Amino acid sequence: MDVLELARTQFAVTGSLHFLFVVLTLGLAPLVAIMHTRWAISGRPVQEGMTRFWGQIYVINYALGIVTGLVMEFQFGLAWSGLAHYAGDVFGAPLAVETLVAFFLESTFLGLWIFGWGRLPKWAHVACIWAVTLTAYASAFFIMVANSFLQNPAGSVVSGGRMALTDVGALLTNKALIFAFPHVLGAGLFTGGMVLVGASAYQLRRRTEELEFFTRSMRMGVYTATIGIFVTLGFGYAQFGGVPEGKFDGDGAAALPLALMMEAGHLLALVVLLGMLPLVGVLHRWRWTHPILMAMTPLPFIVSIMGWVAREVGRQPWMIWERLTVADAMSPGLTSGMVTASLIAFTAVLGLLAVVDYVLIARAVKRGPREPALGAAPADEPRSPALSY
Amino acid sequence: MEVIWFVFFAVLLAGYFALEGFDLGVGLLLPVLGRTRETRDRMVAAVAPYVLANEVWLVAVAGTLFGVYPLLEGEVLFGLYPLVVAMLLSWILRDAGLWFRRRLDGTAWRGFWDAGIAFGSLGLSFGWGMALYAAATGFESPPVHPLGVLLGVVVTLLFALHGWTFLAWRTPGEFGGTRSGRALLGTGLVAAIPALGVLAGAMPYLLGHSAPPATLNVLSVMVLPFAPIMLGAQVWVWRTFRPGKDAFRFPSFF
Repeated sequence: MDVLELARTQFAVTGSLHFLFVVLTLGLAPLVAIMHTRWAISGRPVQEGMTRFWGQIYVINYALGIVTGLVMEFQFGLAWSGLAHYAGDVFGAPLAVETLVAFFLESTFLGLWIFGWGRLPKWAHVACIWAVTLTAYASAFFIMVANSFLQNPAGSVVSGGRMALTDVGALLTNKALIFAFPHVLGAGLFTGGMVLVGASAYQLRRRTEELEFFTRSMRMGVYTATIGIFVTLGFGYAQFGGVPEGKFDGDGAAALPLALMMEAGHLLALVVLLGMLPLVGVLHRWRWTHPILMAMTPLPFIVSIMGWVAREVGRQPWMIWERLTVADAMSPGLTSGMVTASLIAFTAVLGLLAVVDYVLIARAVKRGPREPALGAAPADEPRSPALSY
Repeated sequence: MEVIWFVFFAVLLAGYFALEGFDLGVGLLLPVLGRTRETRDRMVAAVAPYVLANEVWLVAVAGTLFGVYPLLEGEVLFGLYPLVVAMLLSWILRDAGLWFRRRLDGTAWRGFWDAGIAFGSLGLSFGWGMALYAAATGFESPPVHPLGVLLGVVVTLLFALHGWTFLAWRTPGEFGGTRSGRALLGTGLVAAIPALGVLAGAMPYLLGHSAPPATLNVLSVMVLPFAPIMLGAQVWVWRTFRPGKDAFRFPSFF
C-alpha cells in the first residue's frame, strides 16, 4: 500500500471503531434518560434497576467512544493537514463548535451523572442525563454538518486557492445533511433498541428471576427499534435526492455496501414490523425466539458501518466533492513509515480495547441487574433509603 | 475578534494544564503513594468525578485550533507527529485504565490498569513538556532535544506536586497533608506556567494567523453564548464534589 492508502486505512479503521460505539451511545442515551425520568416519577425499584443496569452498559460503551474519538479529532491534523489548509475556515467551524460546546458540555454533564449518584438532588440528576442526551445529539449534528460539507461543499466559495465561508445557513441546511442527520439518529435508536431486545432475550432465555425487569426492557427495545428502523429507512430514501449524480455508479467498493445496507435494512424492517412488533406482548414468553433475537443484536452495528463505508468510499477520490482530492488533502511530507507505525499502534491498542469493552458489556449483561457498579453504595456504608430516592 | 479568540484559546490551554494537571499528577503518584489496592482506590476515587470535566478542555483546545487557527493546526500536529501519536496513546491508556480498572475484580486485572493509568499519565505529562519546548522553538528543534526532555521532567514534577496538593485538599490528612483550596489554586497556576509562557511567546504569531473574520464571527455567534453554560457546568462539578470525609467513600465508578 502507498502512503495515501495507508492514511485512508487508518482513518477508516479508527472511524469505524468510533462509530460502533457512538451509534450505541446515541441510541441508549435517550433510553437511559427515559428510564431515569420514570424512576424519578414513580420511585419504583424496577425503574431504578433499569436505570442503573442499562446506564452501566451505556457508560462502559461510552469509554471506547471517547478514546476512539480522541484519535479521530487529532488525525485531521496528523494525516490530513491539507484539508485544514484548504478548507479549515469552513470545515473547522462545525468541528470547533462540536468540541467546544457540544462535547465539552456532554463530558461535563456525564461526569456529574456518573458520580452524582446519591449526591445530586433527584431532579438535578435527571436533568444531567437529559443534558448528556441533548449534547450528544448536538455533537452528532455538528459532526454531520462537517461531514456533509465534504459531501457537498455548500455555503462556501473558493478564493485565492482556499475555501471561505460565505453562508452559514447554507452550511447548516446542506442537502447532504438534512436527511442524513435523522438517518443517523434513527440508526442509533434502532441499535439501542436491538441491544435492549438482545440482552433481555439472553436473560429471559436463561429463565432470569428478574422477569418484570427484562420483560419491560424487551418491550421498550421493541418499540424503540420500530421507531428507529422507520426513521432510518424513511430518511435513508429521502437522502437520495441529495446524492450527486454518479456517486454510486460502477464503483463496487461503494455500491456493494450500499446495496447490502439497503437489503439488510429492508429485511430488518420486515422482521420488526411483521415479527417483533405484533408479538411484543408474548415475545418474552416465546423462548424459541430468544436465540434469534440474540443473534440479531450485531446486525445494526454491521449495517451502520456499511452505511458509512458507502457514504465515504462513494466520495472518492474527493476529500471535498469536486474541490479537493484526498491525495491533495494529505499532510505534505507524510511518509509510509510514519503512517504504518501509527496505523499499527492505533489499530492494535484501540482494537484490543474494543474487544475488552465488548467482553465487559457482555459480562455486565450476563451478570444481570443485581448491584451494578453504577450508583452503588460504598462497601462500608450500605445503601440507605434516604440516599436511594 | 482575534484577541477574544486568542484569550479563549489561552484560557482553554492554561485551564487544561491547571485542571487535567492534577488528574495526571494523581496518576503519576499512584505507584508512589498507592502501595495497597485500597489506597489506590481512594486516590482514583478522589479524582474520578473531575476527570471527564477536565480532560475535555484539551478536546476543546484541539477544536479551537482547527476552527480559529486552521493554518496552524496541521503545522503543529504534523510537526510533532511521533510525539502526538505517543501522547494520544498515553491518553488512551490512562482513560482505559480509569474506565476499566474496577470492571473486574482480579488482582492482575486491577494491577494492569493501575499501571496503565500511571504510565499513561507519565507519557502525557512528559510529552507535554517536550511538545511545549518544540512549540517554543517554532517546531525547528528535533523531537528529542535535551531542553525538551528537561521541560518534560519539569512539567511532570509540577503535575505531581499539583496532584499531591489536590489529594491534600480533597481528602485532608489521608495522604500526609492538608491543603486549602487556595493552595490548590496556587499549584494549578504553577502547573499552567509552562503553557502560559509558550502562549505569551506565540501571541503575535497566533493573532496574525487567525481564521478570517467571517469564520470568527460565525464561531462567536455559535460558541460565545454557551460560554456561561460551560462555565456553569464546570462550577457545578466543583460544588457537587467538594472535599470532606465522604470524598472517597461515595461510590466511585472508576
